[in-house]
Amino acid sequence: MSLHVRPILSALLRNRTGAVLVAMQVAITLAVLVNALYIVVQRAQKIDRPTGIDLQNIFVIQSAGFTQRFQISPSLQEDLTWLRELPGVIAATPSSVIPLSNGGNNEPIVTRPDLQRSEYYNEINVDEHGLDALGAHLVAGRNFRREEISPPRGKKDASRFEPEIIVSRALAERLFPAQNPLGKTVYDFINQTATIIGVVDPIMGCFPSHEHPDWVFFVPRLPSGEAAVNYLVRTRPGQRDSVMRLAEAHLSKSNPDRVIDSVRPLTYYRNLSYLDDRSMQIYLLTVTVLLISVTCLGIFALATFNVSSRTKQIGTRRAVGARRRDIVRYFLVENALITSAGVLTGCALALGAGYWLSVEYALPRLDLYYLVGGVLVLWAIGQLAAWEPARRAAAVSPSVATRTV
Amino acid sequence: MFGYYTALAFRSFRRNPGITALMVIAVALGIAVCVMTLTVYHAMSGNPIWWKNDRLYAVTMDNWDPNVPFFQDSSLPPPELTYKDAQYLFRSNIPERKVVMYATDGVISGAGSSPAEHVKTRVTTADFFAMFDVPFLYGSGWRGAADDPAQPLIVLSREENDKLFGGANSVGRVLRWNDHEFRVLGVLNDWAPRPRFYDLNGGSFGSPDAVYIPYGWGAELELFNDEESDCWKSEKIDTFKDYLGSECIWQQMWVELPSRASRNRMQSFMDGYWAEQRRSGRFQRPRDNRLTNVADWLRDNQVVRNDNRLLVALAFAFLAVCLINTVGLLLAKFLNGASVTGVRRALGASRRQIFIQHLVEVGALSALGALLGLGFAWMGLAGVHHLYASAHLGRHGGYQELTHFDSVGILWAIVLAIGATLAAGLYPAWRIGRLPPAVYLKSQ
Repeated sequence: MSLHVRPILSALLRNRTGAVLVAMQVAITLAVLVNALYIVVQRAQKIDRPTGIDLQNIFVIQSAGFTQRFQISPSLQEDLTWLRELPGVIAATPSSVIPLSNGGNNEPIVTRPDLQRSEYYNEINVDEHGLDALGAHLVAGRNFRREEISPPRGKKDASRFEPEIIVSRALAERLFPAQNPLGKTVYDFINQTATIIGVVDPIMGCFPSHEHPDWVFFVPRLPSGEAAVNYLVRTRPGQRDSVMRLAEAHLSKSNPDRVIDSVRPLTYYRNLSYLDDRSMQIYLLTVTVLLISVTCLGIFALATFNVSSRTKQIGTRRAVGARRRDIVRYFLVENALITSAGVLTGCALALGAGYWLSVEYALPRLDLYYLVGGVLVLWAIGQLAAWEPARRAAAVSPSVATRTV
Repeated sequence: MFGYYTALAFRSFRRNPGITALMVIAVALGIAVCVMTLTVYHAMSGNPIWWKNDRLYAVTMDNWDPNVPFFQDSSLPPPELTYKDAQYLFRSNIPERKVVMYATDGVISGAGSSPAEHVKTRVTTADFFAMFDVPFLYGSGWRGAADDPAQPLIVLSREENDKLFGGANSVGRVLRWNDHEFRVLGVLNDWAPRPRFYDLNGGSFGSPDAVYIPYGWGAELELFNDEESDCWKSEKIDTFKDYLGSECIWQQMWVELPSRASRNRMQSFMDGYWAEQRRSGRFQRPRDNRLTNVADWLRDNQVVRNDNRLLVALAFAFLAVCLINTVGLLLAKFLNGASVTGVRRALGASRRQIFIQHLVEVGALSALGALLGLGFAWMGLAGVHHLYASAHLGRHGGYQELTHFDSVGILWAIVLAIGATLAAGLYPAWRIGRLPPAVYLKSQ
């Protein structure tokens, strides 16, 4: 069976404007489709990175003491005791910061006192319930003991370090590549020392937007009352919202010397951190779908126009012996030729756009699988869009040839 | 003639309603997507105090670690100053106005029956209001003398005044800020510069501060910068006094310099101070004392995100496809109606008239498309707004405020519609005008 490409091609070249326009549409659509999908997938991978945190079952209470008689330590003690006794609560910890919120504290630690401090790692202050309250997994060493939890830093010892810390595996590997980090000593910015007693993995700290959000270390210390303190509360599955309401109702009245600033699920902060990525995804997907629809309609319309303006020729062909499927094939092959031209140009355009994105916006280079996928999709869409007009062409009766309009 | 052509155009639309609807929708979608992205882009890239662009300057000096630059990916100095540098520079009389400030957290209580509430507070010197053209609804800002020693005066934003006093004139009323008594001196009118150029920490489109207190309270009450404070030096910082004397950056400084001469004098004042300090061992990095105007400040701090630039490019690619699509459809449509055109030509219509007639038809099409596109864009922006608003749990301010449909969108739609008419209509109208009439008359 021959596809009779030659006559189709020469007919196309004789009347090429419409074909060129459709090919251009296909080309741009391919370039956009491939690059947009690539970005969407990258964002999805970014959002779905493991956090090591029991995201769905944690909520955060922000409390700010503000009167002159407010005492941070007794207040922490009272609130936490109450929270921990609540039915449905697995663990609660005071924390200086909110994980995944893109706000927090970074400090340099180094492995020798004379080393240049050029990297900053995310410091999180918690008590002995901290890892439990996050649902984080200790993969080596031990958790903090109750007696190791230091009081809040005050107005006279604001740069105090603590003698034990727990680090993320990623940070351990950064500081002590290919060594057992347990028992190793690290030095803070004024060379106070701490010993690594535990390793957590996986864990994401406060800054999902940073290049290394998993460079995290935990310090066993109660947060100072200088700024608002956070309570991270982890509940049994399904009980977060009811516990949250209970806690808000009680805590907002229990102590007139402070205000409860907010009580929110941890997912609120996480979603806010990824909001731009999410909206970018939605936007890219919407425009891509619209783009494909418009191109699809363009192909359809051109094919329809070709069919209607060639009714007489089709009738003549049918009258001299062409079968219905010859007619269908003619239009599908014609469409395939146009789409192929578009797709070929589109490949160059897509690679060009991908290169431009990687240079201008430091995005990773386009993965070629996407290009192959995009080519196949557009081909299929082109054939689908041409199918209905081709079928209609096949329905043209041979008797048309004998009539004059 | 124009009216007649328009009537012809609409008659032609009625002849092929399907294909006309398709073209209108294609143009509408293209314009809608462009209007949406451009509205957000415009809001992002605006200079909210453009009329003072040649007068306002952010003051920065590079006091950072001799071995490691502040930014990994650029050579810019840190965006804030140390306390001691800010104090020294603030003493200069060269600027017409000058401000040193930072953001801190506070709690307001004792204002009528309102419950105690966490408020974003700006600790600032007196010139803030006059310098940034901040409008007052009631009262005024404080005089410079109230900064040091600090007077218990407070200025409320309009939103905060609505919350605390139900929008009444609260000047003279007394309230407690962090359990210290303050007297309301002024209430701002609506003021939310976007981007929040004077302090880009905590999001360039973050909500404006709720209350303002005199700068002297910072040292008096030991208030930290709660948004952005960075340290590099291995120095012990146990007390607030240590912090004030440290190499930590946390003070924001702006100056108003009315002329090039005053700007040059300020620059040499900074350079002189830098040289003197360098001799005593500070400022070991290359000299980089900057006075940056607002436009450059917004650019340096990358207020417009790459994502948004990308979306604008994407929107125009989409519009291009929509227009190419329309060109194809128009050609098909015009050629289909060639016999009618042939008759018109035979009856004496010139090529030029045929060309104009068809261009008018495309223009009408684009106008319809633009109208529909505006509707789509309005819906789209409302959707994006909703997306952001729901993520913020109903809180105001922030990025969602950039998604308001406004006159800029309408302007863009008009420009795009004219562009679309020319881009999509010129070639088909020209093609149809060139057709030899005889051929089409014959086949009748």
